[in-house]
Amino acid sequence: MAEQVNINPVTLDIVKDSLIAASNEIFYAFAQTSMSPIIYETLDYASGIADADGRLLTQGNGVTGFIGMISPMICAVADKYGKENLHPGDVYIINDPFMGGGTHMSDVGMVMPIFYKGELIAFAGNKAHWSDIGGMAPGSFSTDATNMYQEGMCFSGTKLVDRGELVEPVWDLMRSNMRYPQISQGDMWGQISSLRTGEKRICELCDKYGADVVKGSMKRLIEQGESVARKRLKEMPKGTWEMDECMDDDGHGNPVHMQVKVTITDDEFLADFTGSDPQVVGCVNSGATAAYAGVKVVFMSVIGPELAVNDGVFAPLRTICEPGSVLQANRPAATSCYYESMIYVIDLVWRALAPAFPDSLGAGHLLSVCTVLMSGKHQDFGNDYLIIEPTVGGWGACRGHDGQVGLFCVGDGETYNVPVEMAETRYGIRIDEFSLHTDGAGAGEYRGGSGAVRVYRSMNDNQLFTASFGRNKWPVWGAAGGRDGSINYFRFIDADGTVSEPMGIVARRVMNKNDVVRMITATGGGYGDPFKRPPEKVAMDVKNEYITAEQAEKDYGVLVDPETFAVLGLTDERKKAAAAR
Amino acid sequence: MKVATDIGGTFTDLVAIDSAGRLIMEKSHTTPPNFDQGVMDVLAKSGLEPKSIEAFFHGTTTIINALTERTGAKTALITTKGFRDVLELARGNRPDLFNLVFKKPEPFVPRYLRREVTERMSYKGEVITPLNEDDIVREVAYLKKEKVEAIAVCYINSYANDAHERRTVEKIRELWPEVYVCASVDITKEWREYERTSTAVLNAYVMPTASSYIDRLGQRLTEKGISGPRYIMQSNGGTTTFDQAKVTPINVVESGPVAGVFGSSILGKLIGESNIIAFDVGGTTAKCSLIDNGEVKVTTSYYIERDERHAGYPIMAPVVDIVEIGNGGGSIAWIDDAGSLKVGPRSAGALPGPVAYGKGGTDPTTTDANLVAGRLSPVNFDMDVSMDHVRTALQEKVGGALGVGVEEAAESIIRVADSNMNNALKLISVRRGYDPRDFTMVAFGGGGPIHGPTLARELNIRKVIVPVAASVFSAWGMLMSDIRHDYIQTKILPLKDASMEELNGMWKSLMETAGTQFRNEGIPEGQAVFSFLADMRYMGQEHTVQVAAPSYPWKEEDRAELLSRFHKTHEHFYTFSLPDTPAEIVNLHLVAYGQLAKPALEEIPVQEGSIESARKETRRVFFSGDGWLDTPVYDRTKLGQGARAVGPLIVEETTTATVVCPGQKLTVDRYGDLIVETEVS
Repeated sequence: MAEQVNINPVTLDIVKDSLIAASNEIFYAFAQTSMSPIIYETLDYASGIADADGRLLTQGNGVTGFIGMISPMICAVADKYGKENLHPGDVYIINDPFMGGGTHMSDVGMVMPIFYKGELIAFAGNKAHWSDIGGMAPGSFSTDATNMYQEGMCFSGTKLVDRGELVEPVWDLMRSNMRYPQISQGDMWGQISSLRTGEKRICELCDKYGADVVKGSMKRLIEQGESVARKRLKEMPKGTWEMDECMDDDGHGNPVHMQVKVTITDDEFLADFTGSDPQVVGCVNSGATAAYAGVKVVFMSVIGPELAVNDGVFAPLRTICEPGSVLQANRPAATSCYYESMIYVIDLVWRALAPAFPDSLGAGHLLSVCTVLMSGKHQDFGNDYLIIEPTVGGWGACRGHDGQVGLFCVGDGETYNVPVEMAETRYGIRIDEFSLHTDGAGAGEYRGGSGAVRVYRSMNDNQLFTASFGRNKWPVWGAAGGRDGSINYFRFIDADGTVSEPMGIVARRVMNKNDVVRMITATGGGYGDPFKRPPEKVAMDVKNEYITAEQAEKDYGVLVDPETFAVLGLTDERKKAAAAR
Repeated sequence: MKVATDIGGTFTDLVAIDSAGRLIMEKSHTTPPNFDQGVMDVLAKSGLEPKSIEAFFHGTTTIINALTERTGAKTALITTKGFRDVLELARGNRPDLFNLVFKKPEPFVPRYLRREVTERMSYKGEVITPLNEDDIVREVAYLKKEKVEAIAVCYINSYANDAHERRTVEKIRELWPEVYVCASVDITKEWREYERTSTAVLNAYVMPTASSYIDRLGQRLTEKGISGPRYIMQSNGGTTTFDQAKVTPINVVESGPVAGVFGSSILGKLIGESNIIAFDVGGTTAKCSLIDNGEVKVTTSYYIERDERHAGYPIMAPVVDIVEIGNGGGSIAWIDDAGSLKVGPRSAGALPGPVAYGKGGTDPTTTDANLVAGRLSPVNFDMDVSMDHVRTALQEKVGGALGVGVEEAAESIIRVADSNMNNALKLISVRRGYDPRDFTMVAFGGGGPIHGPTLARELNIRKVIVPVAASVFSAWGMLMSDIRHDYIQTKILPLKDASMEELNGMWKSLMETAGTQFRNEGIPEGQAVFSFLADMRYMGQEHTVQVAAPSYPWKEEDRAELLSRFHKTHEHFYTFSLPDTPAEIVNLHLVAYGQLAKPALEEIPVQEGSIESARKETRRVFFSGDGWLDTPVYDRTKLGQGARAVGPLIVEETTTATVVCPGQKLTVDRYGDLIVETEVS
């Protein structure tokens, strides 16, 4: 387009900033009105704006896991109907795991074409985790599902709003098949109204600057993204790194093997998952999306976490998965816990690249979302309630600082835990404890961050508890000589005193009044040789009760007075190791 | 006479209004770490007679400095058994999504000073486990041994029943009278334990600093012979007494900036404008806040050290809702990795400052661009400005990279800076459902008048007011303020079934608390005014909207009234309402004002004849959208009441300049405020 040569680049940048501001606006407006804790606290949703070809321009993310999923969803709708058959005011609903950036069916996507003076100029899309979309279990995901039909209703790019009018029969069908239609209705309108805001803002920009300037700025945004990514790629270490790991459990007691080969050249960042296990009977399968998104997360972290996310930045990136594998499963595989596979993908690539990128990647973290679903009736109000929440845990140490505590796993992000005071009001539980799990694992020059303890007491009979705590067999990995962290698990202590075995996965376990579930999350991996940790820091760790005096001696070789917390000396092993250096 | 002093990063400002309504302004350097010295300096410099000072108002950065510079006290936390790590676990959020070596904010109280006591309240405020006072005795002994200086107490569900917290504080005072101690419920009765704990901890952390500062300043004022009542500006846009500020210093955290917003609302009332956008551009940031129908908006979702990449520390104290961006006069212009021009958020600060200051700054700033663009005059600075240095810096750091000359570089910087500020102004207005055409902008601070009229044109704001005391406007706002306390009580009640008796009981109890507070502060009953707010939401939602509620006592018909106001407010902010979905009350929020006498303002002399006598020069000036124009420049001090002119023009005063775009109409009102009509229809 020759006329663009004459547009002042500062004008393009100003329009570009306005596009990003519009994207932020549609992102935040949605959380403010949502009725689902998983949206307003977990921020388990994303929204974005794409150009008329469906290339992602800007994305607002609450969690890392939705990275790059908006654009495929838009392309799938455009392909299905043909761009010429889309109309102003249309909105399409899509949650099919096997098309258009699908994840699990709980993540409901919406796509809106944006027209200016009759011309298709852009798309807005968003994707949000709905509290329930039907299926066999409250919350629509269940660790024992074996096919997609148990996991709710599937929409493969269905028209939900036709030229501004809600398609009533579609909504009617949805309403009759969901457990909490009132909540879903709120979220549906929240999503639609935020897309409409996006439409309005883009048309305002066109009014002010002209459609050509807006299109020019969209082009500049993607070109700049690509040029920065290519420049940074050239500065990266080059080579091939491999890693393979087993996911603890497919939901039916079987480990799932995954492997990756990452190759970085001057022009490409390639992640190849060939050789990973075939799809499984449980619900940890994923469409191709999990691997694509997982790789993008680590790619962003090494190329520059501060860069704006758009399709230009991802230009040098390529991911390969085998069809029929657990990372690119075929219909009708169950996918409700697909995100656990996605996080294993992240962990695999992360672990493979950690030695090469010590400033961007540290030791392993709790890894799992540690999802909890609990449903029942509130003991005082008698209303049905549903908890769907992730659980915080420990992160790994890295070069320069100790591991962090109380963070959600890498698949989450700007995610908030539900405050104790709110949970006790809203749900049929009392929280007996919320504290650090100071098991002292993850020893290192930089110590792994402690896991968490969260204890729920059932305040009513017949409540159902479902949870999926991955990383429940093999502990979190340490790096650069740091020790491994620990594992995630939970156990039940029933009102009669019966204590269950520790477990990682359970589906719809009944809890009666005063039954307690004690959830424990992992401590992150250590970084560097524990014998290099300064003795004064080890003594403070003992004083702060992150580790015991015995661990100080055994793991760190530091003798600490358990009363005064003074450093009494070093063990012979530590002295010997120091002498050998 | 009433006097206000406001401590800023570089200057300590003084504004006084004498009995004749005359305005006295003075500035003196800020004197860290002994900020009271700067106050005494500016008082001395002003030449005001101490005996004539009837009331003293003060805004201070002491509290925010103690927090950000980590110079507060060694602080401990006493909390419910099982929950000592709430402060460290925080909310689990990681805003810097793709940074896998992310660091959370470090807690202000280390783990070994977070102590647990056996006690427990239910969410309904019933005692589940009684308070074990032996635990308190044990922990106080431990904390004495550790030589802590301040203790915060925060228990789970204390917002529903504060008895255990109150008793614990009492017991600590019995056992250890010297230690500073506060309860979370001293500051707020809102739910969310992490936020309330953080608030209590930060309050305790600054209590010793606040006490010693306020006592020292008070003593020096007394020595000087200034004896009237003394007030300190709070973050909620009202003042409190020196004594109360020692108990809840955390309420003073945004002391200075909010006074300008409050001042804007008062100025609006004086000239008959109730919808105001306050726009304050200083050296490092631009701040804006929207005043809807005369009401300054107050929020309790306030954080320090929070941005897009950092989680920050929550302070659940009422703070005027201000959007602040890193875009002030000293903001640095730079070229990013992709070749785009950016302005801010890094700032040249007071030292070295813009290149123009000649203090060694080499990075071009917005101020430098305004100089090259002719919008500021080098002779209007109180130092020698080398335009050669300024032009060289602009050409080297920006022009070269963009492939343009120095003047176009300056234009580009101004356009990008304006665009940044424009986005912030949109954030508080259009994006929250307000039409800027219904608002008047009050532009102040050193940079507000330079950029305000251009931005108003962009946003379709009809009118811009540049107040008389534009560069010391926060201090002016303090002089006009009332005592204000906010009392917030969380109580989840479905509106349909809520008992009016229960609700009125809660309002009554909040009003009694306010009454006691006012009696302690010496405010006569007749001067107390209450306003009633309710935070409401649809059942199932989490976030609330604030609704202006009917006055106490609520009658049965107020139920429908409140509901209809709620639907309207929700629709206003979020474009939709859900009339069939039940609504609930989350918080009752009482705003209690203790009205103080306001000074009368003096009118300036009427403009005699043509304004040509006020003209300083005519120079070439750049205007976005219009290019370079010959522009007359006037001296503000020589413009009288009723003076009129049409842009392009500039009105200069010592510390700023008002840049009026082509076609915009300037008039000077009777108090000397510049009124710019933007001709937006």
